[in-house]
Amino acid sequence: MSTKLSINLHKLARFTNTAIPVLALLFFVGGWQISFYFHFLTVPFLGLTFLNTYYLLGQRNHSLLRNFGILGQGRYLLESLGPELRQYLYSGDTEERPFNRTERREVYRKANNIDSAASFGSQNDFDATEIKLRHSLFPISKEHVLPYQMAFGEERGIQNAYTLTVPFIISGMSYGALGQRAIRSLARGIAQTGGLMNTGEGGYPKYHLMEKCDLAFQIGTAKFGVRNEDGTLNEPLLADLAAKEQVKMIELKLSQGAKPGKGGMLPKEKITAEIAELRGVPMGRDVVSPTHHSECEDYPSAVAFIRRIQDVSQLPVGIKLCIGDPRQFAELVSEMKRQDSFPDWITIDGAEGGTGAAPKAFIDRVGMPLFPALKSAQDILLASGARQRLKLVASGKLINPGSQIIAFCLGADAIATARGFMLSIGCIQAMQCGSNTCPVGITTHHPRLERGIIIEDKALRVANYVHSLEHDLEELLCSTGARSVKDLSFDNLYVPNESTLYPFANHN
Amino acid sequence: MTSPKFKLVSWVAQIIAVLIMGQTLFFKFTAAPESVQLFTELNMEPHGRLIIGALELIACILLIIPSSIVYGALLGSSLMAGAIIGHVTELGWQGDRLELGIYAIVVLTCCISTIMIRRRELPLLKVIHSDKPTKRGRRK
Repeated sequence: MSTKLSINLHKLARFTNTAIPVLALLFFVGGWQISFYFHFLTVPFLGLTFLNTYYLLGQRNHSLLRNFGILGQGRYLLESLGPELRQYLYSGDTEERPFNRTERREVYRKANNIDSAASFGSQNDFDATEIKLRHSLFPISKEHVLPYQMAFGEERGIQNAYTLTVPFIISGMSYGALGQRAIRSLARGIAQTGGLMNTGEGGYPKYHLMEKCDLAFQIGTAKFGVRNEDGTLNEPLLADLAAKEQVKMIELKLSQGAKPGKGGMLPKEKITAEIAELRGVPMGRDVVSPTHHSECEDYPSAVAFIRRIQDVSQLPVGIKLCIGDPRQFAELVSEMKRQDSFPDWITIDGAEGGTGAAPKAFIDRVGMPLFPALKSAQDILLASGARQRLKLVASGKLINPGSQIIAFCLGADAIATARGFMLSIGCIQAMQCGSNTCPVGITTHHPRLERGIIIEDKALRVANYVHSLEHDLEELLCSTGARSVKDLSFDNLYVPNESTLYPFANHN
Repeated sequence: MTSPKFKLVSWVAQIIAVLIMGQTLFFKFTAAPESVQLFTELNMEPHGRLIIGALELIACILLIIPSSIVYGALLGSSLMAGAIIGHVTELGWQGDRLELGIYAIVVLTCCISTIMIRRRELPLLKVIHSDKPTKRGRRK
């Protein structure tokens, strides 16, 4: 018969709970009878005895501490280190969410201008869920790829139409969600590439404006920066903003993928005096925007409101929404046709989109994922003949060329990503965006944490990231034989039978 | 967050503790006869006197640097607990020993008050106190 050993944590805890006061007593006797120096041990052990007594008998919140005392803290301590340990050591390269290590590493390498060639083979599954790009038997060479140009507002023939030359837009991140240094890094970096940055719904874009990049000003449901007291649109304020040289376009946010049907959220931890002033909100309280624009009660009023913003701003005006039911989207489009009034673009945000703070149920469960939503929208717009009246922008986890090209094939004219750009300036996916404790200083206003960001250096990484994405897009286009993203279509995709796009595929 | 009123109380306690501990340092480091006498009775002369003096100096410094107050209070209360043990077991409470003993008790009280007020700053307790309640009502 063999004896096996295992640690009995219950007994160990009981032993510890007895040993601590006994040792305190022994040390006391030692200090008394042998040498006063023993009291250097008596005192800490007395302290531990008091603390342990509090855990066992005093506090009532934590069963574990009540039953096992100080050793029970071991669980909390180790558990609190769990996310870091998993990310550093134990999670596989393709395991983590929302972005696994392979995906993050690709962005980091692009941002640092390091070659992202991989060896030996793909780590992805080649099973029934992965969408692939169908390349051409006769790829073209790079000289034949046309430079990217997308003129927003050209359909209406307005004077202030804006030509986008970089297909990768920095998606809406406000000053509030991000700290000022992060905003300025992104703005300076995108300015170096001639691209476009969305301001997010955080009111007057003071820091976005500092770096002379092109901006799309976003109006959220709370209308920070352009609101009246009662939460309706303040037209003079909007006209003022739209008249600024850098503000090229206006985006009306109807809903957001991470929390569709719910307004934006800024936790009170992140509201500084300056943010409170820029947004016109009180400090010390979470700010939760309304669920919808008070001007948008139904289809006719929503379309009329879009036209009103176009009239006031005299700029290209788009809407951003996450699709819940494609039939509602179809209804919205037919109302646009009825009024013969279209936004200049529509951003389709997938339910997988990111956020600084949203209820978990909304992050996890509400809204359609990007690819089927984008495909539905494209089909509806094509069928109604509205597609040539506006542009389509896709957003939702599109941080790598591989996923971006799929969105282009599904009908996107441009890509918007927020987290891709955050990763490019050093985001490590610590998932603390809502608590003002971002360890790399991006989503925090704490000066000691923001200190980590050197704007000039990070701006360079933003530019590197954009240039690398452009390079990869060009190579992917060559492989398909398409000369521009406009030539791509759903036929360029291989859709396996467990993909969310499978219902749309032509199965013959 | 600790409320401003409690912060003020904490600062008053810290300053009392620093003043009382600080002035005894002078006697310890200059080897004043009273101090030498005390530590001789404890059988710690001279090293114990210097070690405890140095620790008290560190506690005083930690107690006035905002980010380390709670650690200073921990060290200070440990030292004072030791001092009180000294009075109980060896030194007694007669004559000016009574005054010294009372000083130790006052400093201990100040340090413990500081710890209680600033308990959220204690590293081990952060887990228990850091989660924020929902807007629907405060957790008991």
